[in-house]
Amino acid sequence: MATVAATDTVNIVINDVDLQVPKGELVVEAVKRLGHEIPIFCYHPRMKPVGMCRMCLVEVGFKQPDGSVRKMPKPQAGCTLPVSEGMVIYTDTEMVHRDRKGVLEFLLINHPLDCPVCDRGGECPLQNNTIFYGPSTSRYIDIKRHAPKAFPLSEYVTLDLERCIQCGRCVRFTEEISGDAQLAFRFRGAAMQPSTFKLTDFDSKFSGNVIEICPVGALTSSKYRFRARPWDLETSEGLCLECGNGCNVWLDHRAAKLVRVNGRTNEAINEEWTCDKGKFGHDYYNSSKRLTQPLRREGDRFVPVSWGEAYAEIAAHLGAKSAALVGSTVSNEGLFCLQKLFKDGFGSENIDHRWTRTLPAAGERVAKRHESSIASLEHKKTVLVFGADLANSQPIVHLRVRKGWFLNETRVVVAHSQTTDADSFANLLLSCKPGSLDDLAMGLERAVAEAQKTDVQGFASFKDTEKTTSVKESALREVAAMLLEGNASIVCTASIYNENKPVETLAALAKIAAATGAEFNVYAEGGNDEGAMALGVMTGRNTHEILQDCAMGDLNALWLVGADPLTLHPSRRLAEDALEAVPFLVYQGLLECEAMGYASIVLPMEAPGEHDGTYTNIEGRVQRMQQAVKNPGDGKPAWRVFSELLVRIKPGRPSFSAKEIMDEIAATHPAFAEATYDKLEKEGTPLKPVIENFYM
Amino acid sequence: MAEYKLLLEHSDDTAYRTLDGYRKKGGYKALEKAVKMERQAIIDEVKASGLRGRGGAGFPTWIKWNGLPKEKVGKKHYVVCNADEGEPGTFKDKQLMEETPFLLVEGMTIAGFATQGDAGFIYIRGEFIDAAKALRAAIDEAYAAGLLGKNILGSGRDFDLYIHMGAGSYECGEESALMSSLMGERGMPRLKFPHAPLPTISGLWDSPTLINNVETYTCVPFIVNKGGEWYQTLGAATKNSRGTKIFSVSGHVNKPGNYEIEFGTTLNELLEMSGGMKGGKLKACVPGGSSVPIIDAEMCGRAVLGYEEMSDVKSMVGSGGCMFLNEHTCIVSFIWRTAMFYAQESCGKCTPCREGTKWMLQIMERIVAGNGQPGDKELLLEVCSQIDGRSFCGLGDAAAWPVAAAIRVFPEEFDYFIANGKSMVKSSKDLMLVP
Repeated sequence: MATVAATDTVNIVINDVDLQVPKGELVVEAVKRLGHEIPIFCYHPRMKPVGMCRMCLVEVGFKQPDGSVRKMPKPQAGCTLPVSEGMVIYTDTEMVHRDRKGVLEFLLINHPLDCPVCDRGGECPLQNNTIFYGPSTSRYIDIKRHAPKAFPLSEYVTLDLERCIQCGRCVRFTEEISGDAQLAFRFRGAAMQPSTFKLTDFDSKFSGNVIEICPVGALTSSKYRFRARPWDLETSEGLCLECGNGCNVWLDHRAAKLVRVNGRTNEAINEEWTCDKGKFGHDYYNSSKRLTQPLRREGDRFVPVSWGEAYAEIAAHLGAKSAALVGSTVSNEGLFCLQKLFKDGFGSENIDHRWTRTLPAAGERVAKRHESSIASLEHKKTVLVFGADLANSQPIVHLRVRKGWFLNETRVVVAHSQTTDADSFANLLLSCKPGSLDDLAMGLERAVAEAQKTDVQGFASFKDTEKTTSVKESALREVAAMLLEGNASIVCTASIYNENKPVETLAALAKIAAATGAEFNVYAEGGNDEGAMALGVMTGRNTHEILQDCAMGDLNALWLVGADPLTLHPSRRLAEDALEAVPFLVYQGLLECEAMGYASIVLPMEAPGEHDGTYTNIEGRVQRMQQAVKNPGDGKPAWRVFSELLVRIKPGRPSFSAKEIMDEIAATHPAFAEATYDKLEKEGTPLKPVIENFYM
Repeated sequence: MAEYKLLLEHSDDTAYRTLDGYRKKGGYKALEKAVKMERQAIIDEVKASGLRGRGGAGFPTWIKWNGLPKEKVGKKHYVVCNADEGEPGTFKDKQLMEETPFLLVEGMTIAGFATQGDAGFIYIRGEFIDAAKALRAAIDEAYAAGLLGKNILGSGRDFDLYIHMGAGSYECGEESALMSSLMGERGMPRLKFPHAPLPTISGLWDSPTLINNVETYTCVPFIVNKGGEWYQTLGAATKNSRGTKIFSVSGHVNKPGNYEIEFGTTLNELLEMSGGMKGGKLKACVPGGSSVPIIDAEMCGRAVLGYEEMSDVKSMVGSGGCMFLNEHTCIVSFIWRTAMFYAQESCGKCTPCREGTKWMLQIMERIVAGNGQPGDKELLLEVCSQIDGRSFCGLGDAAAWPVAAAIRVFPEEFDYFIANGKSMVKSSKDLMLVP
């Protein structure tokens, strides 16, 4: 309705242009509508404005009834001033330019101007603003402030205090976004400096972000320091596969080598943040332990062989009595080709990608895996985090949940037997005894049932629940009441399968969700685990059975695709026995590892950023990552290996590109129907919800 | 006009610091009256009195009182007293708290009644240990006598009063920084209207908050007792300043100390009260605390103490810290010391104040060290203009005004010092205020 819109917007004038903007919008945002820019340092659209740097000073006036404009006596900070009816804003007057020059002169008097050796040089907001708005020379002839040039705040973040302009972005990030409050200002006046408490380690799971939001080169990446100049870098749109969130990143590479990972904005997933795993955990790309060529075991050593020889060897040894175990960073295309290779080529269905303690038997269904999108979590009234340490396993989901709590009054309930980062802000903490999550879920189910006055026969009494879990009846009832208020989401991760009786736990939670109308999520954990589930990469024998069969001598060959059972499988002993006993082991991976020692054939694999491919994140969003860097050796993408091998075994037309395979996936898997390369959207395409039940 | 002792009438009487003594002199009559009054009637009385904030800005007090929500909406209301008296040259609140603590307690209690305050906080400068002790004793006595706490004087209304000691920051006298500090945060100013709601709507813990200076609250019992009509007759000669004001006289005078005067008294009369100049003729005066612009002897001669009247001599009443300087004072050194204070006390939040105050100090330092460069005076003025009105809170302005005013009023002293590397004032070496 027009009348409603009129109350929600205000009429303002920016540089003589009349404009209608939403009420309460900040001046610094409002001017963007006209394509004007107000220079900023401390302001960040995702954090509360503070008005510290004074770079955004503008002249502001108000229209008087007689049509004249009465200017406010002082210039106003555009980053903190909300627009109001009749406001007149000038961003281009002599006074505004003079003020900008003044602020920049102040900022530069104590800035070392060591741009030629600064990581930020070339992509530095201070440089840019100085060039556009600053004075050309300085009138400062006194001694500049000096400080240690490279103070290690942590293993990853190095602070150059001399360059700091005290904008407080980093401090506010740790207070408002990551919530770990690791940084604060100490001292005052010109001596004020950002610091950790008592200079202890900057212990955060999101510390890398402060490097990116620092408007100068004060916070630098210890891993990237002095590795490249920005103008030498090429950048590609990448994805992070350290967990299943599917964060968008920029892969910055120099001379075909990956040197830096930065957050790339995707409002649906990571906004613009990264976790430290994603930002710093890319050493393997350039690791000296990278496998560069196919190897064949000869006695107690490996000898390089050609791909053809390796294929011949594999084709000769793999058959119906073989199996494959898959890691979490293989693309959708790779998984699809692997399935095809095993089914059509070897006549085996024994493939699995799950590594949890309990693997539900085929036929056990969990109807819902991701009802809530990541972005929707910040608008929930209640989020119940059940048995998940989100900050560790799904860091970006953790940030969303916290954002909802911080900005939108989302009530967060954490139920876990361990301490998690979310405990610090949880509105309610259900801290249960280790191994009692199943009892807790059933206790909660009873509380919901009682609140709804449905039959509670067969449930354990609250007293018994308290005995087994140590969680009180009142707390359970409170959570039930919160869930029943509606707009709630229950968040679990696949880690629940490492707990006691996961099937019963999930069944109870599913019933709670159904009874309360809450959304229910059991988010996958690994990079492309969701893709593997959507493609059904869990046919035939499961992980435990495959390893047992190997150990018992029932399988002739095992293929490890980017997976090391010795580190992934909960039982190392079983994994060792299996690898020891299996007569023929193919290890295909990025790096040398322990499992490789048992292999008959070793195949180098391309890292995710080294080839084209699509990946499915925890909310079922299919995203494409194009090739960013070159493989350092003779590695091949997984799908190509499977496809080439299949042609050898069963002559036919091989797949030539990832795009082609994706078309094939779209044709055969209804969920992927919209996920072809031609149709993929910028923010990723959600899987079509055509399949309701998946085997977990 | 002579001294007019209203607040300080019984300041010499040690019995006045006890509840009995205070009551004998008519104490708590105002509160007894106030509990029977409508809330709005108290505010109207303050409005009629024409009382303006005594902390320095001179903002009409009743507007603040009237700004709190008339009906509570689920949030507590707080009454805060700014007792972080840190302005160099000002020491009136210290005396008020030490010698007339009950006036403050009673004034705040009345303010609590008028604005439905649930709790009051007195934020005392950390160094004021005697003042805090005096207030502690007074508050304890008031609690014991049912004048604080639950059901005050049978009115059915409650009001608690707390003392909070600051930790040594000038900035925490700025009201929003004071509230940050009171809430346990770093003492940095917060966004103010129109960038954020007024403290009367969202202040301490996002609740409606009334914040006034010590002297402002101590005026309240008199206003309630004798009526706003009576109070506004004091200082009627001035344009818009009513009541009495305590001036803390210091510097080269024979009898430094606090002098309470009616508005409209001249600066010369104040100088006479304080025993006249010592050690030489009057050269300059900083009439309202170190942050207000300095004025020379000629201006002193025609200065009338009133909020509007002082602007005729391009200065301010400020907080009433009146420093008289004799002819042997080197203005450049004096300003150097002032600049040092503001450079030390800048909280660091905004660029102009953080960098500008330090730069000004560096320039002043090199001038007094005899290394002044041609153009330094103009540079100082430029830096001042880049701070004034550009900083986040008033501290930046307060740092820039004295420097700019000194250069405006005594340009020749700066020129001489820069050109010759030494002070124009022959004997200034002895009187230089060494930190």
